[in-house]
Amino acid sequence: MRFSYNWIRELVPGLDAEPAELMRLITMKTAECEGLERVGADTVIEVDNKSLTHRPDLWGHYGMAREAAAIMHGKLRDPVKLDLLPKGKAPVEIAIEDFALCPRYSALVFENVTVRPSPMWLQDRLKSIGLNAINNIVDVTNYVMSELAQPMHAFDAAKLHGPTIFVRGARAGEQIVALNEESYNLSPANLVIADAEAPIALAGVIGGLHSAIGSDTKRIVLESANFQAASVRKTSVALKLRTDASMRFEKSQDPLSTVRGLARAVELLAEVSPGIRLVGGLADSHGELKTPAPIELSVDWLKAKLGRELDAREVRSILESLEFGVRESAPGRFLVTVPSWRATKDISIKDDLLEEVGRMVGYESITPQAPLIESVVPPEDASRKYLRRVRNMATAQGFTEVYNYSFVTEEMARAFHMNLEEHVGVANPIASGQTLLRASLLPAILKNILDNSRHLGTFRLFEIGREIHARDGALPEEVPHFAAAMYAREGDGRESLFELKRLAECLMDGCQLRPATARAFEHPERAAIIAWRSEEIGRLFELHPSLVSKGRASILDLDLGRMEKLDQRERRYEAIRRFPVSSFDITVEAPLRALAGDIEQKLAGAAGSDLVEIKFLGEYVRGERKSVSYRLSVGAWDRTLTSEEVGVIHDRVMAAVPD
Amino acid sequence: MVEDQIQQLQAAALARIEEARDRDALEQVRVDVLGRKGSLAQFDLGKLPSEERKIAGKALNAAKQVLASAFETKDQTFAAEALNSRLKQEWLDLTLPAPGPRPGSLHPVTIIQNEIEDLFTSLGFAVLDGPEVETEYHNFDALNIPPEHPARDMQDTFWLSNGHLLRTHTSPVQVRGMERLGPPLRMIAPGRVFRNEEVDASHEHTFYQLEGMMVDRKVSVAHLIYFMKTLLSAIFHREAVVRLRPGYFPFVEPGFELDIGCLICAGVGCPVCKQSGWVELLPCGLVHPNVLRMSGIDPDEWGGFAFGLGLTRLAMMRYGIDDIRLFASGDLRFLRQF
Repeated sequence: MRFSYNWIRELVPGLDAEPAELMRLITMKTAECEGLERVGADTVIEVDNKSLTHRPDLWGHYGMAREAAAIMHGKLRDPVKLDLLPKGKAPVEIAIEDFALCPRYSALVFENVTVRPSPMWLQDRLKSIGLNAINNIVDVTNYVMSELAQPMHAFDAAKLHGPTIFVRGARAGEQIVALNEESYNLSPANLVIADAEAPIALAGVIGGLHSAIGSDTKRIVLESANFQAASVRKTSVALKLRTDASMRFEKSQDPLSTVRGLARAVELLAEVSPGIRLVGGLADSHGELKTPAPIELSVDWLKAKLGRELDAREVRSILESLEFGVRESAPGRFLVTVPSWRATKDISIKDDLLEEVGRMVGYESITPQAPLIESVVPPEDASRKYLRRVRNMATAQGFTEVYNYSFVTEEMARAFHMNLEEHVGVANPIASGQTLLRASLLPAILKNILDNSRHLGTFRLFEIGREIHARDGALPEEVPHFAAAMYAREGDGRESLFELKRLAECLMDGCQLRPATARAFEHPERAAIIAWRSEEIGRLFELHPSLVSKGRASILDLDLGRMEKLDQRERRYEAIRRFPVSSFDITVEAPLRALAGDIEQKLAGAAGSDLVEIKFLGEYVRGERKSVSYRLSVGAWDRTLTSEEVGVIHDRVMAAVPD
Repeated sequence: MVEDQIQQLQAAALARIEEARDRDALEQVRVDVLGRKGSLAQFDLGKLPSEERKIAGKALNAAKQVLASAFETKDQTFAAEALNSRLKQEWLDLTLPAPGPRPGSLHPVTIIQNEIEDLFTSLGFAVLDGPEVETEYHNFDALNIPPEHPARDMQDTFWLSNGHLLRTHTSPVQVRGMERLGPPLRMIAPGRVFRNEEVDASHEHTFYQLEGMMVDRKVSVAHLIYFMKTLLSAIFHREAVVRLRPGYFPFVEPGFELDIGCLICAGVGCPVCKQSGWVELLPCGLVHPNVLRMSGIDPDEWGGFAFGLGLTRLAMMRYGIDDIRLFASGDLRFLRQF
């Protein structure tokens, strides 16, 4: 929203702060200013719309002028002369179907209208705040809106059918061609202004083209109405049509300002369209205009909440400068009446008044203070600690952490043979690549591998992220996963796989790998399932060469949720062996594809309970056969084993060696 | 005279010891002289008269001692030489690179997040977690943002096919924290959040926030400022200057924008702070009574403050990163720098 400095000064005569200073004060006490712009003889202060979301009154200069007056202790001049409103019978009837959707509709009828360009001062002022000058009638409606935050609309009375203006839901199948020359199909959820035949405006959003003011317009109906914020917003969102009017109405405008807007327009129209005449009296239809109950406010409560001393007189003076009604019900206790323009949504409880007082005394006047609170140890978050441990382990082993998006494309998901049904879809993606939520970290890891392989000959990376799996009727399941990858442009890929296996073992002491049926994106001979404490935790595999054209990449993918659960165990000290152990070496001849893990297990099983350790020594491959060597260490807790006993174990192990 | 013979033998042996070239030669000398059939053993003192035998025995023992010591000395010389020559051969070029991987790096956001978690844990705050896919209720309604509230525009939302949404802020974890733990409560919730926005150097659809909240019997704006100053001074390793100004967020009342005195120019004015001396850093405020009530907490008895910290933003400030897209680039040339 753009505010004209000159306009504010007209409303606060004697305001002596320079634009830059005014901007600073508004930022510190009211709303965030984004910058100043010199426009002709005026300076425009740009205010961030987001910081006006809760302030319907600040969508007009008069509201901002009130703030300036309160901040600078200046005097506010009301530009509205309500006695300009005509008395007598209204020339139009207003029929409001639902006062909840349209709390008030006021209108005046003018005749002997001359449509022509506005005088320069009016055109300049509108231009300075970013509005186009159109003609004198439309410009006056925009001027009043920019001053009082009350949107208005002028209809060409000659184009209207019948003496009644209806405010009603659109009928199914109705259409309107709006001022922007677009045609809109309407539904009963869209509130419209209609004459006897058809919609003539989208309530609170935009007027219809048919009844627009033209150069030959002689008689006008001037609408100044109040519409329910939610209804306007729904229509505006549904039709993707945001206008200066809809932006204001969706902030919940003050129903009392409809007639103020008309009175102001009467004065301005007389100036810009000489000879213009009012026809009859004011048409004004409204439901019950509620006055909110006063709010009880205690100065002690204010002090406790702000953490600052406050004087009751100071509190009263601040509230009164913002036109709150203040009555002292007891010493240090006030009954505060909220002005209508702040009562629609903005202010209803004492906490809202706390903000009024706080911002005006200035938050910089509050001294930081350490609270007196119980010293307690916060509840532990075991998962977070575990994730940290995993991260630290991975980086210690040379892996660098990446963060990837939570989105994948259908194509990526398919490339990894994911079930699309398992994915949660994004209903309103704005970019390609955002159609699904990831149910696996792997597609993005592949992208990381390919991207980095263009610059680096070898690398290690990992990600900790959440797989998101759809679940019927509930929030999806979010499963924390660990995915690590190694890439090498040269070499046979063994190192990557065994380094990743080592990382898995660093994270899960005693985890075991067993061959897996490779999925299509995995190297058919290099894929394994990783199990730990009899639970399946994840996989280790080399990526299929069709996915990595140059070099080789391997991936370790682990379910961190399961890992964490299995990791939780009490550690207890175990006595250190007091008696020496004996060792002997065994070499086993086996077919090339016999699994070393199986051989080891067999040997270990045969060695029995006195086995302390079995250690792989080496492997020697000759054609389709290989020999694998192990060193077995055996010992007892309570004595040194005799050489005969060791010999018995050795023979038992030898007997178990497969031929 | 036997003594003279012993003397001659000793002199000859010493000469041979001296001449010995290596340990084998020395050992040969030892066998020849001191061995069982060695030259010293040939002296049969038994045949000598007792008077002479005494004198000769003494001389013989003295010679044995002298020779033993000479052998020992010579042997040590050989050992030292052997060691020296082995060590010489073991010359290593330690300017060669060391094999094996170097430690990898944590993501810069992880680093900042860990630091802040530790800081708040030390102040007695619990670290909580929440889902990335949220219900509309937890993301909006329970935070005093009902449907059709214009504040919903402040956060462009990714809506999901199942009717849920990707959380637009970590604030829903506040709600979950209040529901689960009840008052009094001190908590933070770091995490990934989403906004349905176009991406450029300073805008991302995925970024990281840290939500913080304290609920207790007496909580004031002065306490909020204290915590924020403490936090920011610790993060930036210097006394932070902060200011509060009004800011609108439906889940707090009053709501503030907290600015920090520009760290680049120390408040004098520079391009980073757009000459204002201040940088907008975090939204905060006192928890709105509606929010407390919706989470089953009586606002007449309890009050609280809440704040939201942009972790991505902090990481950018800390490391001088000028393109937000780098965080999700997966580019190791960037990530290895931390």
